Formats: sequence, structure tokens, C-alpha cells
Amino acid sequence: MLFKLLIFPGFLFLLLCAFVFDWVDRRMLARFQGRVGPPWYQPVADFIKLPTKEDTLPQGVNATVAAALPMLALAAVLTASVYVPVAGVVSASFEGDLIVVLFLLSLPALTYFLAGWISVGVYSILGGHRSLLQYFSYEVPFLMAVAGPAVLSGSWSIASIVAYQAQTTWGAVMQPLGFVLAVVGLIGKLKRDPLDIPKAKSEVVSGSLTEFSGRKLALWRLSMNMQTVVGIFLLVNLFFGESRFFDVLPAFPVFGLKALSILLLLATASAIYARLRIDQLADLGWRILAPLALLQILANVGIGG
Amino acid sequence: MNIEVALRELLHPIVRWARRKSPWVLHYNSGGCNGCDIEILDTLTPRYDVERLGILKEASPRHADILLCTGPVTRQSRDRLRLIYDQMPEPKWVAAVGSCCCSGGVFQGAYNVLGGVDHVVPVDMYIPGCPCRPEAIIDGLARLLELIQ
Ligand code: SF4
Repeated sequence: MLFKLLIFPGFLFLLLCAFVFDWVDRRMLARFQGRVGPPWYQPVADFIKLPTKEDTLPQGVNATVAAALPMLALAAVLTASVYVPVAGVVSASFEGDLIVVLFLLSLPALTYFLAGWISVGVYSILGGHRSLLQYFSYEVPFLMAVAGPAVLSGSWSIASIVAYQAQTTWGAVMQPLGFVLAVVGLIGKLKRDPLDIPKAKSEVVSGSLTEFSGRKLALWRLSMNMQTVVGIFLLVNLFFGESRFFDVLPAFPVFGLKALSILLLLATASAIYARLRIDQLADLGWRILAPLALLQILANVGIGG
Repeated sequence: MNIEVALRELLHPIVRWARRKSPWVLHYNSGGCNGCDIEILDTLTPRYDVERLGILKEASPRHADILLCTGPVTRQSRDRLRLIYDQMPEPKWVAAVGSCCCSGGVFQGAYNVLGGVDHVVPVDMYIPGCPCRPEAIIDGLARLLELIQ
């Protein structure tokens, strides 16, 4: 159990994945733009450098809360990762763990807003507000899209959704619409381009994190990277679970390949789309994504019976 | 106490390596003609791709390691430059980009100009040129990174 929690598929493995995914992501984006991109050790260098810097906070900020928020975000993501299987290996699982994971993965959005709210800067507060607005736009379609596989398989446990796909086929094949919506929702959740409205550099400096430096910034970045990893793993489980039609190779490399393909999708999206305005995002979320997600769920109810 | 010192000695090469490999820059124009700002933007374009050196352009002074200054310091921007410098967390470095940033250049002696940025903040690397080429900026930054201890 301890081995599972700390090493595989727990903390150390996720840390490694966070670094690797960060590098692969930046590298792919660079290649899309015709650049070379950072060397492989770049995420490690960034992560070592930040804690050695001075830890500044503006006057009037509650130091305890400011220190607790990034840890809370990281803790929520790590707790969620306990229930997300990696190539079939999972630390803990029960009926309904999908709901727990979704709840835990939405906690970082709240801490992100609070981080902006407490740090008494105009840009931070504006970034915090934007993050909440974005949260209300993407979260509902994301939840509905992720509920799709659960409705289809008749179970709210990630392990049994994976098992259901082993009997039928990949979730992404049976509900392509749901998969696309989940990817869009994930982009919004991770605040990546083109949905990086809360931290748009040219508009609100760095959003909520403008006033954070040193160790806290390192923790924020780590929690973001971990969130990317856990979110991608979740999608792989829900939409590309083990399938006897497609998966002939051993489980672990196939799982890695699937995860990297979703990362490639995310990187492609950030390379080819420009940032949306906040009202465009609200439009997209409520007028297009949410009805489509509803449609997918209805279709799933029809198929799953 | 001794253990702490020993640990610091042990970690020092790693920390120095990380600082050299991950310099995040902040760009501020304290009164130049904008020529050097365009060159800095050039430096950040895919053609020169400074992310190879780990250089990222950050928007917040709190995240930055190196302040890239352009232009001479005018009386109006003096306090802002100082404020931005003070907001950056230690350890921090300043690179003066462009002749007028190094010495006042063509603006020397103007009624509203104090001179180079070294009148206001300590400068670690002077990169002359009017405007200086992206190659010169990259070279200056690479040399500045070598100075980092
Ligand atoms: S050095 Fe020359 S080009 Fe650069 S800001 Fe000064 S006057 Fe403009």
C-alpha cells in the first residue's frame, strides 16, 4: 500500500510524469512554432531554482493562508490521484470514486481564486474573478462529458468503467462527442491556451499568481503540472480504457502512449487557437458545449439502456 | 549548525546549475525610443528561440530573475524602475540593453533624462548597440548566466 502511495502509481511516479509531461508539452509547442524548445532538464531546473529564491509577499497578505493555498491545491490533486488507475494499477478504489476525483480536481480552481482574492493586487483579484467565471463555463460541460462513460457503463467507479471498455471498446469510439467535450473541459480546467483567460499575460500579468514568488510559486506550478498529469490519466481511463480490440501490447507502454497522445492534443490546441475572450468562453460553454454534453448523455442512456 | 553549512555547500553546485539554466526575464522600458524593445521581442521570436537556454519572459516582477532594461532613465520612470526592481525576489540581476540604457546614449544631457539605468539600479551586464542586435542580447545574457554564482 505504502509502495503504491509513494512510488508507483503514487507520488514519485506522478512527480516524474509531471516533469516529463511539462517538458514534452513545451517541446511539442516549440516544434509547432518551428523552434527547438527547452532541453530535457528544463522543468527540473525551474523546479529547483524557484524554492531558492526569496519568498516575497505584499503587505497586508495573510502569510499563513498564502502558504496553505498552494499546498491545499497540491494535496487535493495528489488525493485525487490515489483513485486514478495507471495502466490498471490503482492505490484505492470504491464505487463512486469518480465523483470524489471530480470533486477533488475542482478544488484547485477554488484555491486559485482564493489566491487571487487574498493577494490584494488589482491583477490578482481580476485574475481570480476571471478564474471563477471560467470555472462556471467549463466545469458543467466537463462534468457532463465525464459522466457520460459512467452512464454508459452503469457504474461510478473508474475501475469498472475501464472494465466495461474491456468488454466493449474504447469510450472515445462509442462517444466521440463526449471525448472532445472532456478535452475542451480539461483545457479549461488546466487554464492552458486557448482558455488561459485567468492568467493572460498581456491582460492581467499572471492572474492570481502575480504576487507569488519562490517556494509558493514552485508549489503552484507543481500542482498545475500534477493536475495536468492526473487529468490526462483520468481521461485515458474513461475514454481509452483497456480494450481487447485495440490493445494488444503490454499495458504500461500503451497507457503511456495514450496519455502522451492526449497531451499532443492539448499542445496542438494551444498552438493553433488564439485565446478566447471571457464572454466568448461563456457563450461557448453554455450555448454549445453544455447542450452537446446533454445530447451525449441522452445518447448514452439510449445505448446503455 | 555545521550540518547546515555542509548541506549548503553540497547543494550549492545544484542550485547554481538551476539558476543558470532557468533565467526568467522581465522587460521594462524606462524611456528609450522603442528600438531596443523591438529587438528584445525579436530575441523572443521562434527564429532565435531563447527557450533553448531556459529563458522565459515573465510578466510579473515577482517571478523574474533578470530585469532587461531598455532606454535611459527619465525622471518620470525613475521611481517605477526602482519599484519594479524592488519587487523582484532575490537573487536578481539586471541587464542593460542598448547604448542609451548603458550610458544615456543619444539622450545624454536631455533635461528630462538622468542617464543610464545604473543611476537607479545596479547593472550586472551592459549590452551596447543602438539598437543592439538579438545576437548581442543573447550573447550578453549567456555571459550574464556565466557570472551567476
Ligand atoms: S539604444 Fe538606440 S535604439 Fe535602443 S532604445 Fe536607445 S536610442 Fe533607441
